[in-house]
Amino acid sequence: MALIQNVPLVSILLSLFAGPVSSVLDGKWAKRLNLFVITFIGILSAGLLSFVIGTDQEYVYTMGHFPAPWGNEIRVGVLEAAMALFFCIIMFLCVIGGVLEREREIEETKQNLYYIMVNLLLCSLLALIYTNDLFTAYVFVEINTISACGLIMIRQTGRTIEAATRYMIMSLLGSGLLLLGICFLYSLTGHLLMSNIKEQVTLLQASGEYHIPLLTAICLMSVGIAIKSALYPFHTWLPDAYGYSTLSSAAILSSLVSKGYIFLLVKIFYRVIGFDIIRESKVINVLFIFGIAGMIMGSVNAIRANNINRMIAYSSVAQIGYIYMGFGLGTTAGIIASIYHIVSHAATKSLLFVAASGITDASAKSENFFDLTGAGYRNKLAGAAFTVGSLSMVGFPMFSGFISKLLFSQAAMGNKHKILITLIALAISVILNAVYFMKTVIRIYTPEKKEVIIDKGFEEISIWEQPAKSAALICFIALNLLLGLSSEPVIRLIERGLEMFG
Amino acid sequence: MDAFIEGMKMFAPVLLSGMSGIGLLFSSFRSHIRETENGSENAENKESPADTADSLKKLHIFVGIVLTVAVIMALVSVWTKERSVTLFYLADRVPVYFHVDALGRLFITLTSVIWLAAGVYAFQYMKHEGEEKRFFGFFLLLYGVLLSLESAGNLITFYFFYELMTLSSMPLVMHNGSKESIMAGLKYLFYSLCGAYFALFGIYFLYQYCDTLNFTAGGTLNMTLVSGNVQILQIAVFLMIIGFGTKAGMLPFHSWLTAAHPAAPAPASAALSSIIVKSGVLATIRAVYYIVGMEFIRGTWVQTVWMILTLLTVFMGSMLAYREKVFKKRLAYSTISQVSYILFGLSLGSYMAMTGALLHVVFHAFIKCALFLTAGTFIYRTDRIRAEEYSGIGRQMKVTLWGYTFASLALIGIPPFSGFTSKWYLALGALSSETGFFAFLGPVVLLVSALLTAGYLLPVTVKGFLPGKDTDIPVKKEPFDKMTAVVLILCIVTVILGIWPNPLIRFAEQIAASLWCY
Amino acid sequence: MRAYYMVIAVLLPMLGGALIPLIPFRKRSVIALYMEFVVLATSILTFLLIFHRPENAFVLFRFTGRLSISLRLDGAGSVFATILAFLWPLATLYAFEYMKHEEREKIFFMFYTVTYGVTLGIAMAEDIVTMYFFYEMLTMVTLPLVLHTLTREAVLASRTYLYYSLGGAAFAFIGMIYILVYGTTSNFTPGGVLDPAKIGDKMNLLPLIYAICFCGFSVKAAMCPFSAWLPKAGVAPTPVTALLHAVAVVKAGAFATLRITYFSFGTELLRGTWAQNLLMAVTVFTILFGCSRAVKETHIKRRLAWSTVSNLSYILFGVVLMTPFGLIGALLHMMCHAVMKICSFFCAGAVIYKTERTYVHQLDGFGRKMPKVFIIFTIAALALMGVPGLSGFVSKWYLAKGAVAAGNPLAYAGLGALLVSALLTAIYMLTIVVRAFFPGKEFDYRTVADVADPGWMMILPLVVFVIVICLIGLYPQFLTDAVMNVAAEVFP
Repeated sequence: MALIQNVPLVSILLSLFAGPVSSVLDGKWAKRLNLFVITFIGILSAGLLSFVIGTDQEYVYTMGHFPAPWGNEIRVGVLEAAMALFFCIIMFLCVIGGVLEREREIEETKQNLYYIMVNLLLCSLLALIYTNDLFTAYVFVEINTISACGLIMIRQTGRTIEAATRYMIMSLLGSGLLLLGICFLYSLTGHLLMSNIKEQVTLLQASGEYHIPLLTAICLMSVGIAIKSALYPFHTWLPDAYGYSTLSSAAILSSLVSKGYIFLLVKIFYRVIGFDIIRESKVINVLFIFGIAGMIMGSVNAIRANNINRMIAYSSVAQIGYIYMGFGLGTTAGIIASIYHIVSHAATKSLLFVAASGITDASAKSENFFDLTGAGYRNKLAGAAFTVGSLSMVGFPMFSGFISKLLFSQAAMGNKHKILITLIALAISVILNAVYFMKTVIRIYTPEKKEVIIDKGFEEISIWEQPAKSAALICFIALNLLLGLSSEPVIRLIERGLEMFG
Repeated sequence: MDAFIEGMKMFAPVLLSGMSGIGLLFSSFRSHIRETENGSENAENKESPADTADSLKKLHIFVGIVLTVAVIMALVSVWTKERSVTLFYLADRVPVYFHVDALGRLFITLTSVIWLAAGVYAFQYMKHEGEEKRFFGFFLLLYGVLLSLESAGNLITFYFFYELMTLSSMPLVMHNGSKESIMAGLKYLFYSLCGAYFALFGIYFLYQYCDTLNFTAGGTLNMTLVSGNVQILQIAVFLMIIGFGTKAGMLPFHSWLTAAHPAAPAPASAALSSIIVKSGVLATIRAVYYIVGMEFIRGTWVQTVWMILTLLTVFMGSMLAYREKVFKKRLAYSTISQVSYILFGLSLGSYMAMTGALLHVVFHAFIKCALFLTAGTFIYRTDRIRAEEYSGIGRQMKVTLWGYTFASLALIGIPPFSGFTSKWYLALGALSSETGFFAFLGPVVLLVSALLTAGYLLPVTVKGFLPGKDTDIPVKKEPFDKMTAVVLILCIVTVILGIWPNPLIRFAEQIAASLWCY
Repeated sequence: MRAYYMVIAVLLPMLGGALIPLIPFRKRSVIALYMEFVVLATSILTFLLIFHRPENAFVLFRFTGRLSISLRLDGAGSVFATILAFLWPLATLYAFEYMKHEEREKIFFMFYTVTYGVTLGIAMAEDIVTMYFFYEMLTMVTLPLVLHTLTREAVLASRTYLYYSLGGAAFAFIGMIYILVYGTTSNFTPGGVLDPAKIGDKMNLLPLIYAICFCGFSVKAAMCPFSAWLPKAGVAPTPVTALLHAVAVVKAGAFATLRITYFSFGTELLRGTWAQNLLMAVTVFTILFGCSRAVKETHIKRRLAWSTVSNLSYILFGVVLMTPFGLIGALLHMMCHAVMKICSFFCAGAVIYKTERTYVHQLDGFGRKMPKVFIIFTIAALALMGVPGLSGFVSKWYLAKGAVAAGNPLAYAGLGALLVSALLTAIYMLTIVVRAFFPGKEFDYRTVADVADPGWMMILPLVVFVIVICLIGLYPQFLTDAVMNVAAEVFP
C-alpha cells in the first residue's frame, strides 16, 4: 500500500484535531493554523488525485484493517479526490476572502471558535466525500450540521440566531429522515457498508421482494438530503441563513455545505442503491419536478429580494434546483452535468458573495439596492468580479455557467419525455437570472451623483486596500474562467469518477 | 456604337426635358435657400418687380425652346422608325428596355401636343400662382418621365417610370402650398402608390408565370406554368387591373382625383386629367392585352367584376359631377366617368370596343384639357371657383365660353363633334361583344351618362350666356391672350377630329387589329 | 489569404478599441485619427479576406473536444462582413462629429470599436457555437452603448434590451444544443447538418425546436412579439441607433436565423412543417405591425426604429421562405436595408445634432435650411419604399420572386404584406419629406433660422450612402451575382 493512500484518513483526522487545537489558540493563530490545514490537505488531495488518476482505479482503505462488517471503510476514486481538492480550494478562498468581515463582525474572544467550526466542517465534508459506510456518513452529516449552525450563529445578531435555529430544525428534520432511511436499509440488508448494501439491494431487486420498503428507504433518504440541501419547497431556512451570516460563512455554506450533502446523495444513488434501481423508481421524477420548480421559484424570489445578499442566497435555491433537475433526468449525462454544476456553482456563488461584500463595502455597508448605485466604479475589482459572476450565472460563454448549461441541455436530449420541459425551464431560468443579476450589474455601473456619495459617506476602495479579498476575488475569477474555458479535463474526471462509482 | 446612337435618338428628348427640368428645380431650390437665408435677416428684402419680370421672360423663353425642341425631337424619333433600346438590368432577367410601337406612338404624340398646349397656357396662367421656376421644372421633368413611360418596352420598365411619374407629378398638385393642396398631394401620392403596389403584386406573379415581360400583342403567359395556378393568377391580374385603374380613377380608388385636380393649378390639372390619368389606361392596356392576354380573363369573374366596376364608375362619376358645385371638382368627376368609358371599352375585349377606347383616349384628352384650361381661365380672370358663380360669364369671356361649349358638346357626344365617334365605336363594341347582359347594359349606361354629362356641362353655357338677372359679372371685352388662344386651338382640334376622324380611326383600328390578328 | 488573418480582423478592433481609454490622448482629433485608423485597417483587411477567401478554418481555442471557437469565411458570411466593413468606417467618421456634444466619449468609442470586432466574429463564425459566443458577447458590448447617456430612460431601455437579448439567446441555445446533439457536425454547412438517423424518434420535436431557436435569434432582429426593445433602445446616441440598431446588432439577429435555417437545420427537413407556416405568419404580421407603429409614431428615431422592425421581418420572411430566392432576397435585403436605414438614421441624427428637435412635426420647413440632409433623406425614403432604380426595389424584387415561387398561401399573403408595408413606408417617410419641403404657405422661416447643414464629417458618409443606394439600384448585378453563388451552394 502506497503511503499516499493514507491521505484520506490523514486529512480527515488532521482537520478533526485542528479543531480542538484551535480552541486554545487566539484568533490570529487559529486562522493561521486553519489556513495551513486547508492548504496542506489541499496539497495532499492533489497528490492523491494524481495518484488515483495514475493508477486509474479506486481503492478501499480499511480502517485498522478490520474487515467488514465490523471495520469502517474509506473508498477513494478519482471523483472523491477531485472533490476533496476542489472543496479545499474553495474553502481556502472563502476563508481568506472573508477575513475582514470576520474580524469586524465577530467578537474578539470568539474568533478562534470560528476556526474550530471551519475545521470541523472541513473534516465532516471530507468524511462525507470519502466514507464507504452509511452510518459514518450519517454521523458526519450531523457534525456538519452542528458546525454549520455555529458558522451562522457566530455573528451574533438576533437574525442570525433565528436563522440558525431555523436551520437547525430543518436540518435535523432532514437528518432524521436520512437516519430513518438508513435504518430501513439496514433492516432490509443487514449491512451499513455501501458496497455490501448494494449487493443485497441488487439481490432484493432481482427477487422482487421488499419492493415497497426499499422504495420507502430511497424516498426517505432522498427527501432528507433534499431538505438539508435546500431543494425548493424546503428552502425557507436558506435565505436568512446565508443572507445574514458573516461573509465567509455565507460563502462556505452556499458553496460547500449543501454540496457535500448532494455529493452524498450521488453516492447513495450509485454506490448504495444502484443507479438502475433509482431510475426505475419514480423518485427521480419527484426530484425533477421539485428541481424545475426550484429553478423558477428561486429566481422569482430573488427578483423580489431587495437586499443583495438575500438575492444571491435565493439564487442558490435556483441553482440547487438545477442540480436536482440534472438528477431527475435519470441519465448518467444528467448526473455528470449535476456534478459539474456543483463545481461550477460553488466557484461562482462564493465569488458572488465575496464580490457583493466588496460592493457593499464601497456603499457604506448598505446591502440595499438603491445604495449600490455606481458601486462598480468605487470598488473596481469587486464590480468586475460581480459582473463575471453574474455573467457566469446567466450562462455567458467563457464562464463556467455556460458549460453547465450546455451539459444540462445535452443531457436533457437523452431523455425523450423531459427534453422540452427541461430546455424551456432552463431558458426561462436563464432569463430570470438575467433579470436580477444583470439588473444589479447595470445598477452598480450607473454612476451616482456626487452629492449622494458624499452625503451617504460612500468610499472608494482600491485593489490594494483589502489584499486578501482582492486576491480571493482574482483567484475566483481565474477559477471561473478556467472552468469555463477548459472544462474538458474536469468533465472527463467526473465521467471517470462516476465509472468507478458503479 | 450604333446602339448608342440609336439610344440617343430615342432619349434625346427625354434627357433634354428631364435635365432642363432638374436644372430649373435646382435653380429654384437654390434661390429658395438664398431667399430664406436673407429672409431670416431681412424679411422685406425682395427683388424688384422689373427684375422679376425680366427673369420670368427669360424663363419662359427657355422653357418654350426646350419644350418645342423636345416635342419635335420626340415626334421625329417615334414616327421615323420603330426603335428599341436596352439600357441596363434592374435585376436578373429584368432589363430596362424601351420599344416604341404604334400604341406608344399614339400616346407620345398625344402627350407632346397636350404638353405643348398646357405649357403655353401656363406661361400666362402661372403668373397667378407664382413659383414658376419650380412649376416648369417639374413640368419638364414630368414630360421626360412620360415619354419614357410611353416608350417602355416591358412591364418592369413601365412600372419604373410609372412610379417616377407619380413622384414627379405630386409636386404639381401641391404647387399652391396651401394646407388643402398639400393634403390633396399626399392623397394623390398614397392612392397612386397604393394602386401601383396592387399592380406590383400582379407583376410579381406575372414575372413568375410569363415567358417574358416584354410587351407582346396577345400576351406572354406560359400556359404550362399557369395550369394549376389559375386561381391565384386571376386574383393577381384582377388586383393589377384595380391597381392600374387607380390612376385612371376607377372605383374603388377614385377619390384622389377629385381632391388632386381642383387643388392643382389649371395647366397641371389639364395635364393630369388628359395624360396622367390616361397612363393608367395605357398601363391597363399594356398589362391586359400585351402581357396577360385578354383570352385569359375573358368570360371569367375577373372580366365581369371589371365591367361592373367600370360601369358603376361611369354612372357614379356622372352622377356626382351633376351634383357637384365646385367647377373644377365637377370636371374631375367628369374625368372619372369618362375615363371609365375607356376602361369599359377595354374590359369588353372586343375589336370594336378597343378601337372606341383608343379613340376616346385621344378625344377625351383634348376635350378635358380644353375644359380644364377653360376652368383655369375662369379662375384666372374672376377668382371664382363655383359653377353657379359663373352665370353671366359669357358677357366677359365670350370666346372662352364658346370654346367651352364646343368642348362640352364633344364630351357629351353630339355629332359631329369628336366624342360621338368614340362613343359610337364603344357602343358598337359592347353590342358586338359576347358578354351577354353587359352587351346591352353598357350602351344604356353610356347613354344615361351622356345625358348626365349634358346636365352638368351645359348649364354653365346656358347661364353664362343667358344669366337673366342674377349676375354680378361686369361686361368687358376679353383680352385675346395665350390662354384664350390655347383653349380655342384645342377646341378647334376637337371639332376637326370630330368631323374628319377617319385617319385617326384607321390608326386606332390598326392598333386594335394588331391585338387581334397576332 | 492565410486563415489567421481572420483572427487579426476580429481581434484588431477589439484590442484597438479596448486600448482607447488607456492611451493618454492629448487631443480629440488624435483619438479620431487613431480610431479611424483601426477601423479602416480592419475594413481593408476584411475586404481583402472577402476577395481572397481563405480556404481553411482557424481555431481560436477549444472549450471542450467538440466545442471550439473557430473562424471561417464563407459566402453568406462574406455578405454580412461586407456590410460591416463598408459601413463601419463611415459611421465612425459620423460618430466622431456627433459625439462632440456627449460626455464620456472615450468609453463610448471603446465599445463602439469593440463591437466591430464582435460583429465580424459573428460574420466569420465557422460553427454555431462560435456564433452563439459572439452573439452573446455582442449583447454585452453593446449594452454600455445603450446605457451611455445614463438617464433613467437609458437605464430602463438598456435593461429591456438586455433581458430581451439574453432571453432570446437562452431560447436560441436550445436549438444550438439540438444541432450539437443531432448534427453530424456543428459547423455551418450549406444545406444543413442534421442527421435523421441520429434524431430517430425525436423527429417530431424538430419543428418545435426550430421554431424556438428561430424565435430566440429573432429577438435581436426584433420580430414581433419581441420587438419592444428596439424602439426603446433609441435613447442611445444616434451613431449607435443607426449603426447598431439598424445594422449591426439587428442584422446579426437576422443573419443568425439565416444561418441556422439554411446552414444548420437545413431546409429539407423543415419545409412544409407547421413551424415554417407559423414563423411565416409571424413575420408577415411583424412586417405590417412595424409599419403601422411607425406611421403612428411621431418621434423620428422611434419611427425609424419601427420601420427597422418591419424591414427586418422582410429579411426573416425571406429566411423562412426556405427557397433559393428567399435566401437571395434575405441576403440582398440585409445589404440594401443596411445602407438605406443607416442613411435615414444619420439624416435624423444630423437634425438632432444640429437642432435637438426630435419630433416629426418640428421639422416643418427644414428642407430649405438643411438642403443636403433632406435631399439625401428623400432619396433614402424613396429607396425604402422600393421605388425602382434605387436599392430597395432590387431586394424586394427577389423577396417577391421567392414568395411567388414558394406557392404557399402564406407566402402570397407575405407578398401582399410587402406591398402594404411599402405603402405605409411611403406614408411615414414621405410625410416627413413633404413637411420639410412644403411647410405650407403661411410658414415663417424665421422659426427655423438656427437650422443648417452639418459639417463634412457627417455629410460625407451620407453622400457615400446615397451613391451606393443608387448604384445598387441601377446596377445590382455585382451584388446579385455574389448572392446567387451563396444560394447555389445551399441549393445545389
